[in-house]
Amino acid sequence: MIRVELSKMLRSRRTWSTILLIDALPTLVAVLLAVTDLGPRPGQGPAFLSAVLTDGTLYPLAALGIVLPLFLPIAVAITAGEAIAGEAQQGTLRYLLVRPGGRTRLLVAKLVSVLAFVVLAVLVVAVTAYVLGITLLGSQSLTTGATSVSGSSLSTTELVARTGLALAYAMLCMLGVAAIALFLSTAAESPLGAALGTMAIFIASTLLLTLEASDAVRPYLPTRYWLAFVDLFRDPILWRDLVRGSLLQVVYVGVFLAAAWANFATKDVSD
Amino acid sequence: MTSLRRWCLVALGVILVVAGPLGVRSWPAGENDVGATDLLAQVRAAAEQPYSGYVETQGALQLPVADRFTDVGALLGEQTRLRVWWRDRDSWRVDRLLASGEVDLVHDRQFTTEYDYQDAEATTSRDPGIRLPRTADLLPPALARRLLEDVADRATRVPARRVAGVSAPGLRLEPGSDRSSIDHVDLWADPVSGVPLRLEVYAVGASVPGFTTEFLDFSADEPARSRVTFTPTGSTEQSFDDVLDIADAANQYAPLLPPDTVAGLPRTAASDGAVGVYGRGLTQLVSIPLRGREASPLRAQLRRTLGVVVTDTGTVVSVGPLGLMLTGEDGDGGWLVAGSVTAQTLSDAALDLLSGTVVVDEGQDR
Repeated sequence: MIRVELSKMLRSRRTWSTILLIDALPTLVAVLLAVTDLGPRPGQGPAFLSAVLTDGTLYPLAALGIVLPLFLPIAVAITAGEAIAGEAQQGTLRYLLVRPGGRTRLLVAKLVSVLAFVVLAVLVVAVTAYVLGITLLGSQSLTTGATSVSGSSLSTTELVARTGLALAYAMLCMLGVAAIALFLSTAAESPLGAALGTMAIFIASTLLLTLEASDAVRPYLPTRYWLAFVDLFRDPILWRDLVRGSLLQVVYVGVFLAAAWANFATKDVSD
Repeated sequence: MTSLRRWCLVALGVILVVAGPLGVRSWPAGENDVGATDLLAQVRAAAEQPYSGYVETQGALQLPVADRFTDVGALLGEQTRLRVWWRDRDSWRVDRLLASGEVDLVHDRQFTTEYDYQDAEATTSRDPGIRLPRTADLLPPALARRLLEDVADRATRVPARRVAGVSAPGLRLEPGSDRSSIDHVDLWADPVSGVPLRLEVYAVGASVPGFTTEFLDFSADEPARSRVTFTPTGSTEQSFDDVLDIADAANQYAPLLPPDTVAGLPRTAASDGAVGVYGRGLTQLVSIPLRGREASPLRAQLRRTLGVVVTDTGTVVSVGPLGLMLTGEDGDGGWLVAGSVTAQTLSDAALDLLSGTVVVDEGQDR
């Protein structure tokens, strides 16, 4: 069942057009930066964007900072929201459940498929950004070595390892989005409803983060630690928010997958 | 398994994951029976104790200051995240963590290097005796050291509080002068090393602190020397700056010598130039002479501030426990008088500055 779902996802035109759309913004930004040679003013713009004019190898991280707050979660919410509600809307859910394996296995297969989409989307953005970074933007790190956010030098091995960890962290954050969307997909009648519901949760979380009055709940908001991947490039690495962010996402994934299972396993399926 | 049982299982899981962190957070701090005097002595004795950790400050003091005053407004009016490695007064590093970079201070004897990641610049300057507040001044031990200068015996115990994972005994410090605009400062210290871990500054009449600084992670171990050194990479532009900020510039170059006492507060020994620092501890003010081009935008900002009072002497604003006064009128230079003192003390100080300042001829010893 997992293989079928993965194959369906990879062969879907929607999958690749969504990934291309996510990739378009960092590509456009790289071209604009290369043409104008104008970076954002210090303190403005996504993390690392001011540094990529001199060091293009950091562009995968800047690209992650560009797509992580909005584009990537929207794509994940749409894909995961489609998982169950989409099948129900198309009238194929009943037939899927006829296959051997049961509802829990279908849910797991859908989750693996969404997880694969997240990994694919993040990797495509990172690889595209790396190629654009070293061809269009600065190549200083190739001659002088990369500089950490704290001003110390980073070896190529360190830079690659930390970039890998940052990508893995971003994937985990998006898995949290996927789990919420998957739960809503089991509860909503339409995939659009599931995707919009997920986005509403994340927009509310982002809004609450800006309010001083929400101090008490801030550490538990799903988007609270999304951009903590920057801490991987401090010297020494500041693990505090990364650990909290990872644990928080694990809890969201666990709770919402359990809720999806509880809801879907006994749901009355008529479509 | 029935639907009800499945949902009960999910609910049980949710309760467990929510109750865990809440239980840890609300775990009561263990009380410590050390007396106020002993605790105060322990905190004072820890002045040279090395430490490291992660600090968050939260200020509610929206200072109406202009760009020339660097980031003082942000430091006192917003949340600031800091990492610190402190070996001793001559050797420390404080990193200000930003969402998209860092601004770090690395101190080595009389020199301090400011590294800005986003500008890829490292600027070294000598450490002047007179300067504007900076991140390193907001660390709980640094702020406590400054505030503890005049509390003498006016310290009482407050209940212990869990700070940075330890049960920290608390002290309430009250100013030794009725000229202070600070009602009290609550301080919680590490029970083993005595290093202050959390401070809350309350203005007179305020029920919530105007400024809070707290360690969220703390270690009393001496940090490695490599942590407090700065080795620039090839991509970092390096420079040396003779003048640190506007206070340092005025102190070095303004041909003025302020009086030895203003508003009954004596000038400190460290301020021997044009900028005067008066009083100590919780009752302290600084006077900075400003030229017209610096004073005018600041005066305009002060006049737009809620609660501004314009007198014959100047423009006065009170922001929580801090007061600011700028003497003179539109287009004029003037004295900026600022500190943790009452509005009346600011006015008295301004009058004393206007009447008692001596203009020093070039080449004449101050």
